[in-house]
Amino acid sequence: MGRREMSVDPIYLVQLTLNGITLGLLYALIAVGLALIFGVMQIINFAHGELLMVGAFAMSFALPAMGLLYWPAMAAAIVAAMICGLVIYETLLARLRPEEFERSILITLGLSIIVLHVVQYLFSANPRLVDTQYGFDGVQIGSIRITWTRVIGALAAVGAFALLYVLLKHTQFGRAMRAIAQNREAALMVGIRPRVVARNAVVLATGLCGLAGAALAPIQLVTPGMGQFLIFKAFALVIIGGLGNIPGAIVAAIGLGLIENWIGGFLEIAWQEGAVFVLMIVVLFLRPNGLFTRGAMRVG
Amino acid sequence: MKATLIAAAALAFGALPWLTDSNYILGIAVSAAIYTVAAAALNLIYGYTGLLSFAQLGFWGIGGYASALTVMTFGGTFWQGLVWAGLINAALALVIGYPTLRTGRHAFVIVTLTFALLVTLIARDWVDLTRGPLGIPGLPAPSLFGFEFRTTSRFYWIAWAYAVLALAFLYALCTSRIGRTLVAIKQNEPLVRAQGISPMPYKLAAFAVSAAITGIAGGIFAFHLKIIDPLFLDFYYMQTFLIMVIIGGAGSFWGVVIAGVALSALPELLRFSSDFRMIIYGFVLLIAMLVMPGGLAGWFGQRRLARMRAALQ
Repeated sequence: MGRREMSVDPIYLVQLTLNGITLGLLYALIAVGLALIFGVMQIINFAHGELLMVGAFAMSFALPAMGLLYWPAMAAAIVAAMICGLVIYETLLARLRPEEFERSILITLGLSIIVLHVVQYLFSANPRLVDTQYGFDGVQIGSIRITWTRVIGALAAVGAFALLYVLLKHTQFGRAMRAIAQNREAALMVGIRPRVVARNAVVLATGLCGLAGAALAPIQLVTPGMGQFLIFKAFALVIIGGLGNIPGAIVAAIGLGLIENWIGGFLEIAWQEGAVFVLMIVVLFLRPNGLFTRGAMRVG
Repeated sequence: MKATLIAAAALAFGALPWLTDSNYILGIAVSAAIYTVAAAALNLIYGYTGLLSFAQLGFWGIGGYASALTVMTFGGTFWQGLVWAGLINAALALVIGYPTLRTGRHAFVIVTLTFALLVTLIARDWVDLTRGPLGIPGLPAPSLFGFEFRTTSRFYWIAWAYAVLALAFLYALCTSRIGRTLVAIKQNEPLVRAQGISPMPYKLAAFAVSAAITGIAGGIFAFHLKIIDPLFLDFYYMQTFLIMVIIGGAGSFWGVVIAGVALSALPELLRFSSDFRMIIYGFVLLIAMLVMPGGLAGWFGQRRLARMRAALQ
């Protein structure tokens, strides 16, 4: 491995920072989905990484079918992930009670194994390269270069967060979700149906996950195992940000994206991968309930 | 009666090398012994204490690498390697367990999961130490007082002896006052506190014991395979241990031991391709958790209760 000299080149640093932010935003999409599901149902969806993989595979199939057009293919991927989410909720998650945390993990772990290996069996484990209408073109500012797919992926993530904020803060749909997260009994008493709200939360979270998968597909290679590594990081982010805390998860995700890219730019790759774990242990030592915990699910 | 039965079963398993010459069957028997111990260790932390730990996979891998590196890089013996495998894992369990167990069960599950992944990544990426994806091949056969455990049938003695020792220790632990305290912590932690017992040392000790036993099991298994590489940390092993605990019945000592022996033999007999085997494992896990979360032992227990109720009426 070619050793880069340790004197910090500002352009290189800016490049790393920009890459870190785009990567962090995509991590955030996954972590926010997990935080949303945990906030409403008090469970963890282990199969979330496989839903991301389903989104990425849907993107890789939809792109050639739609003449490499980026946005329609992304919409198709999101819809595909949301349908999977709805099916998973109705068949499995709806049977779980909020206190059955371990059971939720083991059931969704079983599901994740099945989905991963069925996809591997059908489409082989070979990585797929995904081409879009933007190809590998990018924006060039001075000597800093970022591909369009990264820029658009990051913008799509920001757009999704804005939409999520409006949805949770200003619609009846979102208010019901926050009500369940904050006080289940009181929400029941004012006539909110936990089952409907939980289903909405799962479908919304899987939609975000499909978006992340679709945005990642042209940035990195698509493999059946791509969700596994990302989901472990997303779990750690949910802990760092405080379980069920959405802005906490976003901040933690962007922070992790930056730290990983900075470390990856200067140190061995093992340190980059280990960063998330070290960060999590340190946070748990200092703030056992996560960095940003302030009670139940918050949106702002 | 029960004790005689158990001793007879243990001796019968010990006599296996005289009954067969087949390296294939003895190889499965080595796996069965090692997997059963690892499953019983997971049962201690998950079944008895109620803490779902995915870190077992990491301990398994660290145990394998620690014993392999002791022999190949640091010039120690196999037995010293096993001691290191146990000590390093127990120490790591304390370091991870202390900050994590303060926060509650949810964080514990996720931190242990991330730890398992981290160990996999380190095994792959810290090439200077672990030789990365190439792995460390050619692990030599262990020897004791000049007796070399060269063949599979001789190596089986090591696995068998370890399984008997570890299971006896775990059985003694689980049926002692400590074991009952662990079950009480699982069932009602505030009540345990109210009795004047601090749960933290118990939980930490259970985690460390479970880590050390899993690590030594990993160390023995690595020398059975005679090679260690990052595939040793495949999530497949974790799933195998989990399925043994869940099918056998979390919190039931003999349920898990029987499930461990039975489920080690079964996939070998059925001979599926690896993808297909994983799909079946996934379905088994899913259906077991949906239909009988107490495992076979829980199911039999419920039937016995139902019979007793019926007899009362």
